[in-house]
Amino acid sequence: MAQQHGIIVLFDVENALQTRSLEGNTYWFDNMKLFGSAGVGTEQLVTIVPGTHFLDGSQATEQVLNWLPAALGSIPPTVPRNYLAEQERADDRRTLEELASLSDEGGMSEASLKRLQKQVGKHPRKSGSGRGLTDAKLLDVTGKTTSDPGAYNYPAPVITDITGPAVTEKIMYPAQYGSPDMIYDGWYWAATVDTSRPGVYRYTMHIQLHELIERNDELVWESVDLTCESSLKIINDPKRNGFTGAGLGALPLPPVPAAG
Amino acid sequence: MKPRISIVVMVDAVGALSDRTLHNGNLSMVDDSSAGSKHQGTPDLITMVSPGQVVQWTPIHVDVQTPVEIQAIEFLAGAAAPSPADQTGPPYPAEPSIVPVPGPGVDAIGSNGRENHDLLVWEGVVPYDMTPGVPYRYRLSLRLHEGPNSVLHIDSPALLRV
Repeated sequence: MAQQHGIIVLFDVENALQTRSLEGNTYWFDNMKLFGSAGVGTEQLVTIVPGTHFLDGSQATEQVLNWLPAALGSIPPTVPRNYLAEQERADDRRTLEELASLSDEGGMSEASLKRLQKQVGKHPRKSGSGRGLTDAKLLDVTGKTTSDPGAYNYPAPVITDITGPAVTEKIMYPAQYGSPDMIYDGWYWAATVDTSRPGVYRYTMHIQLHELIERNDELVWESVDLTCESSLKIINDPKRNGFTGAGLGALPLPPVPAAG
Repeated sequence: MKPRISIVVMVDAVGALSDRTLHNGNLSMVDDSSAGSKHQGTPDLITMVSPGQVVQWTPIHVDVQTPVEIQAIEFLAGAAAPSPADQTGPPYPAEPSIVPVPGPGVDAIGSNGRENHDLLVWEGVVPYDMTPGVPYRYRLSLRLHEGPNSVLHIDSPALLRV
C-alpha cells in the first residue's frame, strides 16, 4: 500500500444553505496529486487510486480512503470539541463579574446594562416540536458571544452516508468509524478500495448541514440534508523487481565491498 | 536457514524532511534474520545473510498519510580493501572513494505516466560468491513525496555473510 488517502471536503455552509444545494459550494482536496489526482481544490476532484498487482496476478494493494469534512468560516476542526462550552462558561463568568462591579460602583446606568444585555447573546433553544440540537449560546468564529445572525458559527457539516456506483459496484467499502479522537466528534468515514478493477467510479456523499431558524420567537437548529459528488480513478499496474526490472534475481553486489 | 529475510525501514517522513536527514532518529531499520544481526533499530543495521536467501526491503511510513518509498538500493564498491578471502586485490582505482555499483535503473512509471515507486519490489537472492565476514554496505535512497529535496539517502546499512 502506497499510503492512506486523506480527502478533505470543504463546505461553504452559508451559501449552501441559501441556495439549498452543494453545487459550487464544495472544495475537494486530497494528498495524492503526486500520483495523479486531478482537480485538487475544486469541485471536480478525481482521486487517483494507484493499485498494484503481483506478477502472478494477485492484488498487491488495497487502498484506504479517509474523508474529513470542514466548513468555511467555522471554528477550525482542530480545536477541542468542548471549545464552545468553555467559551460560553467564560463569557458567563465575565458578565457576572461586570454585573458585580456595577453594583459595587453603586450606579447602574441604563447604558451599561444594555451593553451587558447585548453581551449575553442569543440562545437557540429546543422548542417543543423542533429538532434543535443545542441550547448553547451563539458564538462567532473567535468564540465570542454574538447576536448577529450573520456572524455566528455553523456546526460542522456531518457526513451521513456515502453511496453511488463506486459503492454499488463494490469498488469501495465505506463505513463510519469511531475513535477517541476529540477532533471530528470522534467519528469519521473511511473506506477500503478494491484496486483490481481499473476505471473511473463516481460516488455520492450525503451531507447534513444545520440552519438556525426562528420559530415561535425561539431560535432552532434545523437539519438540511444535501448531496455532492466526486469520483475515484483506479489504475492497476504490475509490481516489478527494483533491482532487475522484471523478476527475482541475485543482489547486485560489487566484487569488493566498500570499506568501513 | 530461513528462506527469506525481511528488512523493514521505518521512516518519520515529516522529521526527515524537516531535518533534511535520515539520521537524528528519523529512520529505523529492523530485520528478522536469525543469525544475529547488529545495530537493530538504527540506520547502521548489519543484516546477517546466507547465500540463497531472499532479502526483501519494505518501507513503512510512521505517518500513514505521507508517501515514503524506496527510490534505490545500491551496493557500494570499495577500493582495494583486501578481504581475507581475496588477498591479491583486484585492479581497482587506488583512491578510497566510494562509488555505487551502477544499477539497472529500473523505471517506476505507472500506467498513468506518473512515477510510483510503490510499483517496485526490492528483493534479491544473496549470491554464493559473496565474501564471508565482510560487510557489504549499501546506499538506501528514500523518496518522500516529490520535488528537488524529496530523495534522501544513507550509506550506513550493510549485509554480512555469516
